[in-house]
This record gives sequence, C-alpha cells and structure tokens, in this order.
Amino acid sequence: MKNQIKIVILGLLVSIFIFIFYFGLGSNTKNNPQVMVFKKLPAIELRSLYDNNIKISLPRLNQEKFYIINIWASWCTPCRDEHPLLMKLGIEKKIKIFGINYKDNQASARSFLKDLGNPFYYVGIDPDGTNSIELGAYGVPETYIIDSKGIIVLKHVGPLNNDVYKKILTKIE
Amino acid sequence: MEIGRQHMASDFGLVSLVLALMITALVPLLFLKHAAFKTELNYNSFYFFFKISFFLILSAFIFLVISFVFSDFSILAVYENSHIDKPLFYKISGTWGNHEGSMLLFILVISLYGFLFILFSKNLNESLKSTTVFFQSIIQLIFLFFLIFTSNPFEKIIPVPNQGLGLNPILQDPLLAAHPPFLYLGYVGFSLLFSLLLAGLITNQYSANWASIAKRWIFLPWTFLTFGIALGSFWAYYELGWGGYWFWDPVENASLMPWIASTALIHSILVMEKAKKLFNWTAILAILTFVLSLFGTFLVRSGILNSVHAFANDPRRGFFILIIISALTFAAFVIFILKSSRQGKDNASYIFLSREFSILVNNYLLIFALTVVIIGTTYPILLSVFAGESISIGPKYYNTILAPFVFVFLILMAIGPYLKWGKNFFSVVRFKFINILLVSIFLTAIISFILQKQDIVFWLGIACSVYLIISIIYETYYLKFTNLNYGRLFSHAGFGLLIFSITLNYFFSKEFTTKIPLGGSANYQDFKITFVNSFSQKQKNYEELFGYYEVEKGSTKVSLKPSIRKYNQPEQFTSETSIKNQWLSDFYIAMDYSKDPSNGIGVRFYFNYFIGLIWFSFVLITLGGFLGFIQRKNEKSN
Amino acid sequence: MRFLFCIFLFIYFLSTQLAFSSLDREIEIYKNIRCLVCQGQSLNDSNSDFANDLKKIIKTKLDNNETDKQIYKYLVERYGDWILFDPPIKTKTMFLWLIPLLTLIIGFYILRKKISFSKD
Repeated sequence: MKNQIKIVILGLLVSIFIFIFYFGLGSNTKNNPQVMVFKKLPAIELRSLYDNNIKISLPRLNQEKFYIINIWASWCTPCRDEHPLLMKLGIEKKIKIFGINYKDNQASARSFLKDLGNPFYYVGIDPDGTNSIELGAYGVPETYIIDSKGIIVLKHVGPLNNDVYKKILTKIE
Repeated sequence: MEIGRQHMASDFGLVSLVLALMITALVPLLFLKHAAFKTELNYNSFYFFFKISFFLILSAFIFLVISFVFSDFSILAVYENSHIDKPLFYKISGTWGNHEGSMLLFILVISLYGFLFILFSKNLNESLKSTTVFFQSIIQLIFLFFLIFTSNPFEKIIPVPNQGLGLNPILQDPLLAAHPPFLYLGYVGFSLLFSLLLAGLITNQYSANWASIAKRWIFLPWTFLTFGIALGSFWAYYELGWGGYWFWDPVENASLMPWIASTALIHSILVMEKAKKLFNWTAILAILTFVLSLFGTFLVRSGILNSVHAFANDPRRGFFILIIISALTFAAFVIFILKSSRQGKDNASYIFLSREFSILVNNYLLIFALTVVIIGTTYPILLSVFAGESISIGPKYYNTILAPFVFVFLILMAIGPYLKWGKNFFSVVRFKFINILLVSIFLTAIISFILQKQDIVFWLGIACSVYLIISIIYETYYLKFTNLNYGRLFSHAGFGLLIFSITLNYFFSKEFTTKIPLGGSANYQDFKITFVNSFSQKQKNYEELFGYYEVEKGSTKVSLKPSIRKYNQPEQFTSETSIKNQWLSDFYIAMDYSKDPSNGIGVRFYFNYFIGLIWFSFVLITLGGFLGFIQRKNEKSN
Repeated sequence: MRFLFCIFLFIYFLSTQLAFSSLDREIEIYKNIRCLVCQGQSLNDSNSDFANDLKKIIKTKLDNNETDKQIYKYLVERYGDWILFDPPIKTKTMFLWLIPLLTLIIGFYILRKKISFSKD
C-alpha cells in the first residue's frame, strides 16, 4: 500500500519533469529582443546626415498616429534587400520614417540613398552606435513603430520582409 | 570502382546496424522466455548473443568511419559534416563530430561496457551477471531504436553531391577529436552500474558484497569522465580564446552533474561495503548518476540551452531523449521502491566523527553542490516555461555559492580519512589536526607575505587547500609508504592542488582587451604589448593571418604568434590563440577578426597565473581514479 | 550542533558577500554583461562592434560617477535580464538561492537525525 503511494508520487514527479522540459523545448530561453516594446521611446537626439549642424530629437509626442524608425547602414547587405519595402512605406504610403544611419561613412550613406531612393523623412547619424543602443538595438537593420504617445509598439530585428510589411500596415491602419 | 567500394561500406554499415538491433532484441527476449518458463538459461549462448551485438555495433561504427574517410557523400551525415579537402585526421574525428555519428558512438560505449562486464566477471554468480546483461541490453535496444528511427547515421541523400559542407572549424582540433570519446566512456559507462544495480535489486543480491563488485564499475567511468572534463576544459582554454578554463557554461555543467553524483557514489558505496549501511541512499545515487548523464545528453542535444558548444540539434530528438530518460527513471525507481524494502530499512545510526559520519557529510555537501549546479543550469528553462522570461546565470552565481562549500569540503577531505569505521576516534588524532592546522596557517602567512596579498577569500582558499595537501603528505610519511590507498591519495591531493592553483590563478591573473595598430604597443599595469609584424599564409582548407606580438613584463620578454583562420568550407573564422609558458604561468594572446587590419587589430591578452598547476591537478585526480580502479583489492586493510 | 550550524550558515552568507569584490570595477562590470550578438561571451571577452559600443557607453557612465546599479538598470531596461550574467534577485529568481538553502537545511536535519553522539 505504502509502495503504491510512493509509485504514484514518482509518476507525478516524472510527469512534471516531462511537462516542463517538453514545453522548455519549444520555448525561447535565449534572447528576447522585444524588451523595449510597449515602453516609452528614450530621448534621442540625432545630427542630420546632410548637415551635421542640424540636430533633431526623435519625437516623443507626435501629431501623426504612428511613425517608423529604421536603423540602417550602407555597408549592410540586408539593408539593401529591405530598401524597396522602406520605399513603399515612405513614398507610397506616406508614412514618416526616421532613419538612423548606423556607424557609416557619410558619403557612402548619401550615395546609397541617391542610388536606391530616399524613403526617409529625416536621416540622423549614429557614428559610434550609442544612439542605437539607447533604443535597445542589436545591430542593423532594425525597425520600430512609435505611436502618438511615443510608445514603441513594434520592434523588428533584421531586414523587413513581406510578412513584416503587412504587420506594419495593419498596425498603422 | 572506387565509388562502388565506398557505397558498399555504407550498405554494410546499415546492415550491421539493423542486425545489431535484431540481435540486441533477442537478448532480453531470451532472458524473459527462460524467466517465464522457469527454465535454466544457457548462459554461454546468452552472453554470446550480447557479444555478437557488440561486434555488430562496432562494425557499423567502423563502416561509418570508412565512409567518412573515403568521403562518401551519398550519406547525409558525411555530406553535412565532411569535405574532400579535409585532413584525414579530421575526416575520422568528423565521424563523431555530428549528432548521428556521436549517437552511434554512444551506443558503442553502452555495448562496450556490457562486453567488458561479461569478460571480466568470470567469478560472478550467473543470476546477477545475466540479469545485468539483460538490463544493459534493454538500454542498448532503446538507444538503437532511437538511433535508427530518428537519427540514422547511414541515411542516404539523392542525388549524390560531389562535395560536402565541411566540419565546423571550431571542432577541427586534435583535443576536441579526443574529448567526446572520453566523455562518453565516462558518462555512458555509468549505464553498466545502473544495470548492475537493477540486477542486484531484482535478484535480491544488493548487499555489501554487491558494493565490492560494483566499485570498479564506478571507478572506471569516473576516471574517464574526469579525464574527459579535463580535456574539455583544456580545449576551451586554448581554442575559445577567452583566457579561462571553466565558464560554467550549460554544456560544461551537463558533464559536471554526473561527475558530482558519481563522486558522492564512490564514497557512499564504501560505507555500504565496509559498514553495511547506506544501502538505499547508494541505490538512489547510482540511479541518479546515470539519469543525470542522460539528462546532460538531453540538455546538449536538444538545443534547449544556449551554449558556446553549438551542436547541430533538433527539438524532436530532444523529445525522444526526454521520453527515454523519463521511462528509465520511472522504471528504475519502481524497481527500487518494490525491492528496497526487502533489504531492511536504513535506520542505522552513525556515530559522530566516525569514518561513515565523514562520508555522510561528504554526501551532504556534494548533494548541495549538485543542487546548485542543476538549479543554475535549468532555472533559465523553468523561468522561460513559467514566466516567459529569459535570464542568464553566469560564473558569479556558482562561484559565490560554491566557494565556501569548497573550503569546508577541503577540510573534510583532510580529516575524514583519518577517522575510524564505527567509532569516534577523533580525540586520539586531534593533535595531528591541530599541528597540521598550525603548519598550514604558517604556510598561508608566508605565501600571503611573498605574494603581497591580503584578502579573506584568498587566505581561506590557500589555507584550506594547503591543509588538505599537508595532511596527505603527513599520512604518507606516517604510514611509511606502506598500505597506502594510492587512489584516494592521488585524487585528494589532486583536488587540493586544484583548489590551491585555482585560488592563485583567480587572484593573480591579469586580462586586458585592446586594439593595437601595426607597430604600435599598449601598456597595462606592468605589461607592455607590442604588435611587431603580421603576415598571411594559405593552407589547404583555410587562410591564416598571423600577428607577431612581443610582451614584456619586467625583465621577461615573450614573443607570441596568434592568428585568425578563415576557413573555406563552411566559411567561418576562428581565432588561434598563442600561449607561452613561463614557469607555471601562461602568457596568452588571442586576436580578433578585423575587416580592416590596417586600422589596428583587436587583441585579448591574458596572463594566467599558475595555470600549469591546474592541468597537473586534473592529471593527478584522473590518475587517482585509475589507481582506485586497479588497486581496489588492497583497500580492505585500511 | 544546531547552534554550530547556524554559525556556519551565517559565516557562509557573510563570505559569499565578501567574496570576489577585489577586481577592477570596470572589468567586473564587463564580465557581468553578456555580449548579446556573440555566442555566450561576456563583453570583457569580446571585441565585436556591439561589445565595443556598449563598453564605450559604460565607460562614459562610469566617468559620470553612475553606480553599478544604475548602469545595470539602464541595460536591463533596454535588453532585459538576459544581458546580466549575475541574475538580479527578485521574486521570480528567488528560488535560485532558496532551493540550495533549503537543501542545506533539510539535509542538515536528516543528518542530525542519523547521528548518535555515544562515545566509544
């Protein structure tokens, strides 16, 4: 009788073990890039790519419902791939996009935009990467959506693709 | 012609594997048939079948090695992990540098232990021996099923590619080629102890006599495991280029868990043998040791943990291993629960300051350390399952919790062996301890004075480890080199020396990360590092950029030549460290990859104080385990 | 015996607090921060772009006399607890310390029950 109780307890323990590690297999114990989502955008000031004397703060309150922040660099190949989608968002859909030019040569950044088109409302430079870290970025490219209260509502790490593009549009519309 | 021969090897391999599965299935069936009909088992033919299964698995493994050597890319595992241009040595080691091949090695080790057990247990009574082989064959069968149905190493790929993808460059290292086999000979070896335990319980022969039989089957895998861990540590030291030898990385912890459990077992089984107590606890430890070995495999293989030792992994396989672990654990504990009550209750009492008391405290402390390692390793998984959060648990957590434990443990290791079985003998030997204590405090003071270091943790680390070492020297002298238990002496001395050198290393090592332009130099405390020169060289499977550095420290001047390798297949960079030994300390430089070397190259410089002594300690501990394995008969006199 | 055990626990926790505070503060912080884009390396062991940028930021903060706590808070806000190798003590991580402590205490009571003090 006592043995039976022990065996039942043992069975329970083993089931709990299976349960935990079965779900553990599917869960992400690694990085969580979404920490900044639903947080207020930190105060970030950026010098313009076209005139280093101009300085603009990323708006923490804005009239438009949403705007986009995109971190990019001319040396980054995935940025080149996502560029057509940025063009669609910025030019076709007329969404305000603030670009952060990450650790780049300013001349090549300018020619990058000249060749591929400039979807940005404003391009600020981040020569030493500190502004991007302020945003909680890992590298390039990264895209953020900020709402009218300055809250980050979406963060995407890596190049944009059609799925993310649709997600951005549904979020904004 | 050549092509045909290659394919033949893989076909033979697959045939051997399937035959092995069938023969292995036959072994337990034979056993059960005789048990059911209560007929006498023909032991010789029973063992013969198991031996056949071993040779079939061995031949499957050899055929896989042949396929790798001849680069037979019709096999998926070869295609994914090998390349024609790879040196022969890494073609061979590539066999177990991937999941499928290493699982085959895993099974080979299970079978090898069963085989060795049959060979070296001539005098064992047949019921215990055959039941052990029965359980071993069941474990072997389970893993053969797992191998063939989820990770068949001979799986074909059509059409046959004419080139492979290559082996992960970080695995192209002579030490890492040797590391997994030793690790497996270690923790997979505990399967035999597990089978032996279940057999002992089932046949009602779980007794003090069982403990004397089982001891060697703990010592052997323990020795291999210790050596495997040491190799892994040494590999991490010079291949990863982070200057350290132990990172509390989940994969390292996975091998440490069964090591701690088996170390506790080595001690508790002595109590069982000599004092005829602690039966149930020893059984639990034996089960735990093997289960933790499998659990470690699960953690490494399933990709559930984030680790530097990136292994190609697959969650589906992880699920199968999880089910295997759970089933074996459940079955083992059910047998234990049903059978242990017949062996009498463990309500024996232990006399304060007797030998068995010291081993009880040893087990208490080891279980504590084991808990810390298990919790630290699995907590990120628990948290992500229950709270969806991710955290990291780094060295500081383990160091701060375990350091005080180690100090207490060292003292215990010094005192325990002087105590007598079954009586409180402490008052007789008390003066010895006080004398040794005074000597070690005196030595600590001298060391602290010479090295100009005043720090409580430093003093404790040195004093406790010196205490252990001196007590061992004293014992050797006192017993006039006769009747010594060399296994214990070597492993205990090794452990004392290990903590001694870790303490020194921890407090006196220097590290320094910087970027130095060609021709420039950097200063850090009393070190001066100069980047003298650089040049690049083309090899068969990689391109290498060397840097010449000169390091000055006072009057000593050392030149170092680290490099960055750019591998072709797959394209990947590795940093080759350069290490120069000066007395027992190392000067160590690793270069970083840089897109634009003219801008200066990042280097990481480490001065590793007394690191040589750490490796020596590992050797001593391993040697101790080996001596314990071959010397175990003499110990009765102790 | 119980008294001794309490003293032992006390010294134990005192020493865990004392331990390992002797190193250079800057390196100590770098060692405690995971280089998020690397495989399991700390900032201290990495020369990657990301690591160097973070080091720069931390250095500025140190020069501005910010405390370790402030620096860690800044990083955790942006990258989560994952970035710290030394997990913060809070309700969700409590068991990391409680379970070992419980093992110590329960183990002690089992040990205590098994031991007899008869002189021989």
